[in-house]
Amino acid sequence: MNAIPEGARGFITLDAAACTSCMICVRECPDWCIEIDSHTEQVSEPGARRPRSVAVLDRFTIDWSLCMYCGICVEVCPFDALHWSSAYDYPARERRELRHGIDDLGLPPAGSSEFTA
Amino acid sequence: MRSYVVASAPHVRVHVRDLGLACCAVEFASAVASGLLLPAPVDDAGAGALNVLVVSGTVTDALAPAVLDEWQALPEPKAAVSFGACSNSGGPYWDSYSVTPGIDTVIPVTTYVPGCPPRPEALVAALVSVGGAAA
Ligand code: SF4
Ligand code: SF4
Repeated sequence: MNAIPEGARGFITLDAAACTSCMICVRECPDWCIEIDSHTEQVSEPGARRPRSVAVLDRFTIDWSLCMYCGICVEVCPFDALHWSSAYDYPARERRELRHGIDDLGLPPAGSSEFTA
Repeated sequence: MRSYVVASAPHVRVHVRDLGLACCAVEFASAVASGLLLPAPVDDAGAGALNVLVVSGTVTDALAPAVLDEWQALPEPKAAVSFGACSNSGGPYWDSYSVTPGIDTVIPVTTYVPGCPPRPEALVAALVSVGGAAA
């Protein structure tokens, strides 16, 4: 098998802890691949003048059956929550299996070239 | 129909009718040119070999009947591999009036290969998984 060039664009991982649910990637994606659900919670801290509103990410999906791997989402994310991986080998038996959620996007796909347990 | 064997897994014998409709077909050609797929010997049409239709590229509604004809003409046992975003879902053109939003609206797809385009190695990985599951 040929060596996969470094920096090859095969998959995008999500650092869910860094994501602020700002929706910028969702709006900039030319293909509408990304879907986000989130809600805000009030966090009260001792001594604070008022509670803070914090966005909580409920759902983040990328539909790899649509994605054109342009990298716009990676470029525009102000919080560096999206990162390229060179994993390329994650074929699916059903199209809906190519919709990856928060749990699937944390690491390159299981069984793929870049997956490490 | 052109027949190939997978170089890294010679036990997987696939007969591939490459239906290259757009830029993804270049990656198919690259898989052949780089030796990942090898032309099968002429006498390799043996019993039990899996016939794989690889559809790569943008299928328009005008072209969809040609894809269906290819599929119906393919002898059993057979499988269809959708190679790349356009054949998976319509890709960047999913909302176009003239583009078929996924070839699985036309033929039954065994495996979807994500990518725009997918790497040649991704084609090989998909063929191995299809061929392995059929064996
Ligand atoms: S790489 Fe491009 S097409 Fe894919 S999810 Fe990001 S912005 Fe959308
Ligand atoms: S742009 Fe970044 S921080 Fe904002 S929703 Fe997308 S991944 Fe999350």
